[in-house]
Amino acid sequence: MTETISAPPRDLPAAVEFQEASDGIECYRLPKNGLRVLLLPQDGAPVATSMVTYHVGSRNERTGHTGATHMLEHLMFKGTERYHKRQGTSIFETLQAVGAKVNASTWLDRTNYYEMLPTEHLPLALDIEADRMRGALIDTEDVEDERTVILNERDRNQNDPVSRLFDEVWGAAFVAHPYHHPTIGWKSDIERMTPDGLREYYDTFYWPNNATLSIVGQFDRGETLAEVTEHFGEIGPAPREIPQVTTEEPEQSGPRRVTVRQDGQLGAVLMGFKSPPALEADSDVLDVVARILASGKGSRLFQRCTDRGLTSDVFGINFRLRDPGLFSVFAYLAPDQDHPTVEDAIHETIEDLQENGVTQEELDRARSQLRAQIAFDRDGPMRVASQLNEALAAGDWKLYTQYLDRLDDVTVDDVQRVAQTYLRPDRLTVGRYVPTS
Amino acid sequence: MSDSSSPTHSSPALAPQIQDRTAGPGRLLTLRTSVDDVVSFRGSFVTNPDLAAGDALRQQLTVSLLDKGTEHRDRFELARVLEACGAKLDLSSDGLFVEMSGRALVDDLPRVMAVAAEMLRAPAFDPEEFRKARAQVAADLQRRMEKTSAQASTALSQRLFPEGHPNFSPLPETVLEWLEGLTVQDVRDYHEAHFGSTEWTLAVVGDLQHDEVASVVGETFSGWAPHDAPAVHDTDAASTDVGRTAVPMPDKSNVDVRLGHTVPIRRDHNDYPALYVGNYILGGNFAARLMSTVRDEMGLTYSIRSSLSGVSTRHVGSWQTSVTLSHDAVDEGIAATRDVIREFVAEGATAEELDAKKTTITGSYSVGLATTERLAQSILTNAERGFDVSYLDTFPEEIRALTLDEVNAAVQDYLDPESIQEALAGTRPRSMEAAAA
Repeated sequence: MTETISAPPRDLPAAVEFQEASDGIECYRLPKNGLRVLLLPQDGAPVATSMVTYHVGSRNERTGHTGATHMLEHLMFKGTERYHKRQGTSIFETLQAVGAKVNASTWLDRTNYYEMLPTEHLPLALDIEADRMRGALIDTEDVEDERTVILNERDRNQNDPVSRLFDEVWGAAFVAHPYHHPTIGWKSDIERMTPDGLREYYDTFYWPNNATLSIVGQFDRGETLAEVTEHFGEIGPAPREIPQVTTEEPEQSGPRRVTVRQDGQLGAVLMGFKSPPALEADSDVLDVVARILASGKGSRLFQRCTDRGLTSDVFGINFRLRDPGLFSVFAYLAPDQDHPTVEDAIHETIEDLQENGVTQEELDRARSQLRAQIAFDRDGPMRVASQLNEALAAGDWKLYTQYLDRLDDVTVDDVQRVAQTYLRPDRLTVGRYVPTS
Repeated sequence: MSDSSSPTHSSPALAPQIQDRTAGPGRLLTLRTSVDDVVSFRGSFVTNPDLAAGDALRQQLTVSLLDKGTEHRDRFELARVLEACGAKLDLSSDGLFVEMSGRALVDDLPRVMAVAAEMLRAPAFDPEEFRKARAQVAADLQRRMEKTSAQASTALSQRLFPEGHPNFSPLPETVLEWLEGLTVQDVRDYHEAHFGSTEWTLAVVGDLQHDEVASVVGETFSGWAPHDAPAVHDTDAASTDVGRTAVPMPDKSNVDVRLGHTVPIRRDHNDYPALYVGNYILGGNFAARLMSTVRDEMGLTYSIRSSLSGVSTRHVGSWQTSVTLSHDAVDEGIAATRDVIREFVAEGATAEELDAKKTTITGSYSVGLATTERLAQSILTNAERGFDVSYLDTFPEEIRALTLDEVNAAVQDYLDPESIQEALAGTRPRSMEAAAA
């Protein structure tokens, strides 16, 4: 079983409270403002990754304000009073000057900002992240400049018919829950977003008690915690309660269909089944189902579809999200194949799994693949931080550390039961990409 | 596994820790790091394709058949070995080389190497699998035809290089025609003539014991003979009048633009490091001039970069700027990009910029070597270039030693705004209509 310890390490700075540890990751809290800090000290190259995950994503956006999370993420690089281009201290310039790999990303349940850099410069990353947690300027002029940048980013996404297909399927599958709208936002909302609106959003969600700071790599625990305290310790907590999403998606009562027509060459199919929240045990089982269905040449859909020339590629993706998401099967059609043939083949494969279950060998193979994947994901601080980020977004960082134990609990009966429960037509949204050329 | 040598920790010097030896018919470079259980590997051999005669496609098709069955095991047996242990093994065609890369848990390395050697040395080339692989390559090409980025890159390569140059990309429509005419015998002949241990080099990095890896690799690849195909590729650039190629694509609201010209030096030229740094100041990262002007200040693009592309010790390459522009910003975006380039070449970099980029490049170099995968890749690339292992450690020193005069001289000697060729792909803006008229 995964080791979980409750004893705090020695020499802890007074302003830091130890909470728990799991599989080498230590969890602390700054009692003064509620900032959670996760540390994973590693041997290896003298580099570290610092990452701040804000527990805000496009799920938190209201109608008319879609894309706000992502736009704010861009504005967070435009600067603060101390770190600003006009002073020659832009965030990118300052961090990249010391060799940092620096960026951010926004998704449905979270926004994260990260720096991977030589350990000696870790205090600089902490200083910048602490400074922009409450000090972002969000200038009117910067908002205007960034608006066109984001519209171009959106145009790039729209160039890709598969990207449009995913947007359409999620849009049809979710009618009430905010997973309905794309993270980048609707074009009309991006065009109308105001600096005041972004400021209000920032003032609502960007607080230490709505964030987790993760540090992974080669570093000294005591020194690093002291740096964390120095930089983040004086920031106050949110003056108001952080709003939570309470909308629940109503139960779907039948299959839904969407079609994307766009110039292109090869068609594609995306089938999304409503799936449970990431933290539920059935979500672990769906990870296994995705592997058995579509991972590698031994998988069922490869053998039924790709090997028989129906598809050129087929993928199984279990989107593990905080609220119910979509278990998805995505396939590129092979040349000269049609959508009904491919959809029928996918349905047949799923029905066979539902009726006859899977073999112990298939389950063991899927588990071995996932175990190896986890070992690979510990290769380098950035990989670990990325995995941790998604576990945080799902609602519990220990989903990362306890994942192997959770997988051990999955049985062949679970696989069949979960396939029968979730991969049903009345939970399904099917999207077709139909090339028009 | 245990080993008497100590793993890599804080020491930045790699070369003393890399064991460089002959194992079987090739060169083996191994590096032990502190990662747990995992090894990454990357290897290559030179194939010497006749690119002007269409060998790039023959090579791609040959490689795509390697995992589709051998003289000893069918495709599913091969896959089962890898999938049962969660290992990854990729074989790919890369210009003058065929590359092999992957990762495995260290105890599984012997069986993964055995599968790799079997695929490379004794592929079955079954006619039915050939038919499927050809359809798969056709599907990949068709998907590539949908991408504005791929179309723009292909168009620029055609303006810069002759057909026999490794950086030349034939039009996808042409490749599809060639594909129709290929037979399984063509693939067998190509394998016979171009596959072998010629310059075979393998880098393995991770939780390993050097001698054990050498023993496994030596035995597995024992008896693999070199081929005798001579190098016939073009090494120099094409001479084309300065101009523009426009690839009209409906439904693509983002236009991908490539600007560039060839550079007459190879990777081992004395001026290369200065030119590399000069380009980095212009467009190497977020904080470089192109990004900070065209994106940050003007808001015209989501992404703009410049790079030295395809510059090898075996042939010349090019200097390219890539920019994505929304349909209505194409003219303004290209003009702004050209203005930044002109000003940079005319006035040169500043001492502050050089100092900043020196630390960026040397810092990001060490950050980039934080995973076994990247280490294996860097060690192999260094070997393919014919550089001594010690260059992995002296590269940062070489960068730090550059003077402003050297960098600006290289920029003015090798970058010429008046020689820039243009290629665009996307939905026709007015400027493209004019060019086509």
